[in-house]
Amino acid sequence: MDYVFQFGVVWREIDALLLGAWLTLRLSALAMALGLIVGVAGALARASRYRAARALARAYVEAIRNTPFLVQVLLVYLGLPTIGIRLTPDQAALLAMVINLGAYTTEIVRAGIKAVPPGQIQAGIALGLSRWQLFRFVVCLPALRAVFPALGSQFILVMLASSVVSVISAEELTAVADTIVARNFRSFEVYLIVTGLYLAMCLAFQATFAAIHRALFARWSG
Amino acid sequence: MRARRPTVLLIAFSIVLGLSTSSFAPSASAQTVDEIIKRGKVIVGVNTTTPIFGLVGTDGQPEGYDPDVARLVGKYLGVPVEFVPVTGANRLPFLLTNRVDMVIALFGITPERALQIWFSMPYATEAATLVAPASRNVKTVDDLAGLRVGVPRGAMQDLLLTPQVAAKKINLMRFDDEATALQALISGQIDVVGTGLLVNRTLNRNDPGKNYEVKIVLRPLHFGIGIRRGQIDLLQWLNTFVYTIKNNGELDAISRKWRQLPLETLPVF
Repeated sequence: MDYVFQFGVVWREIDALLLGAWLTLRLSALAMALGLIVGVAGALARASRYRAARALARAYVEAIRNTPFLVQVLLVYLGLPTIGIRLTPDQAALLAMVINLGAYTTEIVRAGIKAVPPGQIQAGIALGLSRWQLFRFVVCLPALRAVFPALGSQFILVMLASSVVSVISAEELTAVADTIVARNFRSFEVYLIVTGLYLAMCLAFQATFAAIHRALFARWSG
Repeated sequence: MRARRPTVLLIAFSIVLGLSTSSFAPSASAQTVDEIIKRGKVIVGVNTTTPIFGLVGTDGQPEGYDPDVARLVGKYLGVPVEFVPVTGANRLPFLLTNRVDMVIALFGITPERALQIWFSMPYATEAATLVAPASRNVKTVDDLAGLRVGVPRGAMQDLLLTPQVAAKKINLMRFDDEATALQALISGQIDVVGTGLLVNRTLNRNDPGKNYEVKIVLRPLHFGIGIRRGQIDLLQWLNTFVYTIKNNGELDAISRKWRQLPLETLPVF
């Protein structure tokens, strides 16, 4: 290999790369928080006693999980203006990420809810817990605890998938990297640094998940 | 377990590094015309997202000015052409990493790019322009203040506007390819698009009533065929090829077919 590495020209752009990484972090963190809410709501809808709610949640999950994320992004950004909804690239990216993550999270959380033994719920009812207490302590928390690792990896996946939103001009990490490469043509060096940045962000998220796990489920020393 | 984590990470990162550096047999490392002929095909990077110069046709094959020039390259080399779709941003890496023998993809000739690759003599005339609906009052770059200007990432329009973004208060938005930028203009997600001289014709056909027009010509351009530096044998052949199709009417026919314009006199170097 007779390639001469030139990291100097890339380090000059490190500010732009970090700015891109910051947007990736923000988009991902927001998408995770909102996606979890959507997912829990979706899982409850799927377990609902109303047939319409079950069908609607099922249709949502199937539609999203069986279409490419890139197409969903393009649909939100370029398709929605046709019906008068105009979002900036960042908003469109976030919305697409939430919709996408929500569908996967729905299925994961649903699995967790299914894993709650019926006896546990009956015990809760017998203890006279309110509906909210029943949902919060007897169903939701144990369900989340059961599927926590699966949720964590899905969250990481959505962060990695956020790299495709560069297509709608959202200036996240990959977009910034592409722009820099287009200018100085140092693709190897730039993408190597970007690989490191993604890896670092993944590890940061994993550490955060571990901390959340400890905080939420400390009382179950399992 | 905990103590070993850094080691695991180090290994993970080394694998990524190793994967990217290890020599996956380069697919288009041909250095000379003879090597291309011996391999039995010429691998050409073309843009497939830009009206007139390169789109994917109804048969799934690239069509347009650039793909037709590529087919002539194949014709005169006597080998079939293998097309590889490239974008403004990745065409240079594709060339430098031996994924293609040459790039025929709206590659504007500039001294900056010539630091990385070699260009053949020009085979097409174009310009980096800004296009907007007739109702949009834009005459100079100063009028772009506060407007959303979409450009294909890494294209000439991007390179020319980027240094002026702060001073002129331009909201510059970079899209991965020209097709998405044009679609964003039609969707109303951007106000002005950076493109070429003739694309407004395609826009007006697909989105009638807005009367898209070229507002600003940022810089006249000539396109050259891009090859890796140092391939003197291939360069000499390509220049002879461009000279030939310029003078035997074949390039004029391509120009009339896709641009509805006769071929202008092209400079040589």
